[in-house]
Amino acid sequence: MSAKLMLNPILTLARRELIGLFASPIGYVVLALFALGSGLVFAVGFAPGQPAAMTTTFDATVWLLVFLAPAISMRLLSEEMARGTLERLGTSPVSDTQVILGKWLAAMAFLALLFIPLLIQIGLLIWHGDPDFGPLLSGLLGVVLVGALYLAVGTFASAATENQIIAFLLAMFVIAGLTFLFFFLPESGVLPATVRAAVLYANVNRQFAEFNRGVIDLRNVLYFVSMTGLFLFLAVKLLESRRWR
Amino acid sequence: MLIAHQLTKRYGPTLAVDRLSLTVKKGEIMGFLGPNGAGKSTTMRMLVGSLPPTAGHATLDGHDVLTDAAAARRKLGYLPENNPLYPEMRTDEFLHFCGRLHRMPRTERRARIGVVAERCGLSHLRRRTLGRLSKGNRQRVGLAAALLHNPPVLVLDEPTAGLDPQQIVQVRTLIRELAGDHTVLLSSHILPEIQRVADRVVILAQGVKVAQGTLDELRRQSIAAHAPAVYAEVQAHAEGCQTALTPLTQAGATLTITPDGIDPRWSRVTLKPAAGGPSDLREDMATALSAASLTVRELRREDTSLEAFFTRVTDPESIAATAGASL
Repeated sequence: MSAKLMLNPILTLARRELIGLFASPIGYVVLALFALGSGLVFAVGFAPGQPAAMTTTFDATVWLLVFLAPAISMRLLSEEMARGTLERLGTSPVSDTQVILGKWLAAMAFLALLFIPLLIQIGLLIWHGDPDFGPLLSGLLGVVLVGALYLAVGTFASAATENQIIAFLLAMFVIAGLTFLFFFLPESGVLPATVRAAVLYANVNRQFAEFNRGVIDLRNVLYFVSMTGLFLFLAVKLLESRRWR
Repeated sequence: MLIAHQLTKRYGPTLAVDRLSLTVKKGEIMGFLGPNGAGKSTTMRMLVGSLPPTAGHATLDGHDVLTDAAAARRKLGYLPENNPLYPEMRTDEFLHFCGRLHRMPRTERRARIGVVAERCGLSHLRRRTLGRLSKGNRQRVGLAAALLHNPPVLVLDEPTAGLDPQQIVQVRTLIRELAGDHTVLLSSHILPEIQRVADRVVILAQGVKVAQGTLDELRRQSIAAHAPAVYAEVQAHAEGCQTALTPLTQAGATLTITPDGIDPRWSRVTLKPAAGGPSDLREDMATALSAASLTVRELRREDTSLEAFFTRVTDPESIAATAGASL
């Protein structure tokens, strides 16, 4: 299948999904919550004498995404399963991979919209101060990568159940594992040194910290790309397995 | 064109569909009939590849619906059970979405949407939100979506569910028009609906195919399997009737006579053919009655309509009795 033929259905699905995202009040609630949350954090640090940087806001963004990303993604497949519309997709000439990628892409488009307040804040910094562009851009790339990973986890969770609440909780549970658990577990000292290093590596916040410091290391990028790919792959497998149940 | 081979679906210990085979020929309209819960939807879902069978397989125009799914799906128009739609979309948006999924170019899509909207009576509803449409209109949108890419094979699960009598006639006409260049399998639990559109019928009960054939074939089967009684109204008392029909009762037929409730001069006579004997007693009975110079005001064979046949073959007891024998 040529790239264009592969891509067309994905874009078609993503486009329809965006209509759905804006038809539900949840979309607007998420947008408002993020604008408010990130805005508050930004406003606190936006004062004379403070460094013209987004690091604190970006950190806050990563925490906000722990529950906002699952709220965006929970409906992606669960809703189609509950409505029965998934059967319509399942009998159209689209593959399960295309369905998952289309859904995730729609969520990513929504994420771009969600991050508009961040762009406004960066604009304010440039207008009133003299920020260092390096960390600004690398940090922005970081939060987008974190968002991509969390939405992939959310897509996976949504493919697991037709109940949106369960999809939300499951996504949050996995994300909490990647952040809190993988933060406190190595701290506790119960793990052998090698396992501890591995767990520390898998911790999202540690990986993100590098971006927020202004460093774009290929290893960190690779971490997010491979983890996102892993969860999307699992989502496809889950969707395929649904046919066999 | 559409072939099911020994399709079986088992949910745990429950056997939903049992070794069901059927063939829908090119250009043919096949009716799929059965009471609710007979396994019609399960079978249709296996036929379109949306539910994998426990055993057996299905092919659509030579493409296995599971192993060669992409090719099979391109040739399929499917109206799923309950016709799931996206309530937040408008009719036009939804049809464009379906067209894009089938990779129809924009101009072709526009043209086809106009055509199917017209044929399904949706022209005035194209800007309406699907969630606000009546059940009948939503059903028409589902049908339009199935027809949109002009697929050679159509599988329609209860296409007339929720429609009013007038809409049912429209949909029936629409489906009839599809015959010839489209192969259609449609299901219903209502016999008259199938009777009016389908060339051939498969009757399903408790997951088992209990009968199949053209409508005339089914009528013949019905008569052969259950020799229907002959009913007559005769101007005579019970004894008179009995005497007149002695030759027939001696041959084994069973006679029941009840006096007419309104006019005591008349009797109602029912003659049930003997098992293994001639199945149609109308001529014999008429001859016998006229030989005895009795006045007859009505003589007919008891209900041999498909409705009775349908009720009989789908009766759980008769299925239990014939299970094994038919397979």
